[in-house]
Amino acid sequence: MISFIGFSLKRAWLGFWRNSVMSLAATATMIFMLVLLSCFFVILTGLNAGLQFVEQKVQIVADVRTSAPDLAIASLRDRVAALPEVASVEYVDPTEALRRFRVRLAQQGREDLTQYLDSNPLPGSIEVKLKDPQVFGNVVEFLRADPTIQRVQEVQTLIDRVLTVTNLLRTGGLVVLGLVGIVVLFIIINTIRLAVVARAEEIEIMRLVGASDAFIRWPFIFEGALVGLLGAAITLGLMALAADPLGRVMTSFFEVLPLQLGSLGRDLTVVVLGTGVGLGVLGSWVSVRSYLLK
Amino acid sequence: MAPDRTAASEHMMTQAPPRAAARSYRERPVGLAQTEAPVEGAVLVLHSVTKTFPNGNTALRDVELVVPEGDFVFLVGPSGAGKSTLIKLLIRDEIATEGAVILDGHDVARLSRRQVPRIRRKIGIIFQDFKLLPTKTVWENVAFALEVTGTPRRQIAPAVDRVLSLVGLAAQAQQLPGQLSGGEQQRTAIARALVHDPRLVIADEPTGNLDPLISWEIIQLLLRINELGVTVLMATHNAEIVTALRKRVVALEDGRIIRDEIGAAYHRED
Repeated sequence: MISFIGFSLKRAWLGFWRNSVMSLAATATMIFMLVLLSCFFVILTGLNAGLQFVEQKVQIVADVRTSAPDLAIASLRDRVAALPEVASVEYVDPTEALRRFRVRLAQQGREDLTQYLDSNPLPGSIEVKLKDPQVFGNVVEFLRADPTIQRVQEVQTLIDRVLTVTNLLRTGGLVVLGLVGIVVLFIIINTIRLAVVARAEEIEIMRLVGASDAFIRWPFIFEGALVGLLGAAITLGLMALAADPLGRVMTSFFEVLPLQLGSLGRDLTVVVLGTGVGLGVLGSWVSVRSYLLK
Repeated sequence: MAPDRTAASEHMMTQAPPRAAARSYRERPVGLAQTEAPVEGAVLVLHSVTKTFPNGNTALRDVELVVPEGDFVFLVGPSGAGKSTLIKLLIRDEIATEGAVILDGHDVARLSRRQVPRIRRKIGIIFQDFKLLPTKTVWENVAFALEVTGTPRRQIAPAVDRVLSLVGLAAQAQQLPGQLSGGEQQRTAIARALVHDPRLVIADEPTGNLDPLISWEIIQLLLRINELGVTVLMATHNAEIVTALRKRVVALEDGRIIRDEIGAAYHRED
């Protein structure tokens, strides 16, 4: 068994270099495809992180009655914070609300008319951040029922819209990734098939002298795995070189924290290695199969 | 324990005869008695073999052939007579539509996928175009046949050296096929065919690419291998050689055996 594996590995290595032009062409195709796949993967991850960031901004805002005593507001805040769906609660008092309103007006370049008012017309409000933006019904009901609350700002349509857009983008991204994957699969299988066809005579001789299917198949499978492994390693090397500029784009464009790049690198390594070796093995398997079925 | 065992053995004794009889009946394939009892001493038996290809062409019709151990058989006939198809049936590259091909006591059509390589090792096959690997040396080409069949490394070198000296190529062992003459290439192929100690050597037009002198060298080699006890089946168009040697001649035409004579010439002599 060990000598069989040794034999197959040795033959795979020799086969790779004996047919070096073909093998390198297959590897180059593999690299090209894996880079494409990596880019899609990175973009999709960035998009996802960006969408998560947008979703985190979804919150419920409830205006507090101006007559409500501070004690009641503090008690309400604690009770809301204790709800299982709630991530965090913040109380924005009327002074803070006015300050934010003025900042917003200034950003939009409009004249601040509030300075002509002799009192602050804005109510204080409770801002609730949710753990899952899709689960908000309970919290809204809870706030509505409380006498301290004047009204709960309509959040449903906003949440629905954000979720529709984000889900659409996620599904679209996955579909594109799937399509790229299928294209990659066909190109790789075809390239490896060419490498196998170039060795048809060798396979024929092996069959004629009574080599078992395993002895014919496994060297090619290892060779395919080698193409995949080499392609994946070079791809990861290229991605590592590109990581810095890419990371800057990601942070500025998608507003992703640099922290998340660590797990992205790990995921990318797994995806690229898995896809590369998997495609190499699958391509060889399919290509050799047609010779063994005779 | 003891009474139980006695009862069991009694039970077996009373049951044994009918069961044995039923089994041998069931295991005997209908019309294929040769599978169980091959023709005495025959390496190869073809029993009413017909091969029809999916496109409707019938390449062999009702072929009956028995090749005893140690025989030397010339298979002759015009192109398209069915010689190549017959050889493909023997190495199970094709399967007979009807009838049985029995090689060394095994019905090749009934072999499982796993058994096919093992039966192929009992056949050494030689082609007109040698089918050597151009990037391997003579020695490596012969050793390759052992490597890919899982022969332990320490057994490979002695076996390769032995067959190379048998075919007279010990001195050329480290050369590439491209550096050899046609006759030397064919002798390399013969060495590769012999390295598994086959029961049967099939030569498909082995002299087709060689000039007359070299062709005789190859035939001499095959005759010597035959003298060592290996059965040889040679398909050929070389009338001169067939007629000169006066061996057994099996002539195929239109998929049928039209002649099977011992000590015969290439053409019918009436």
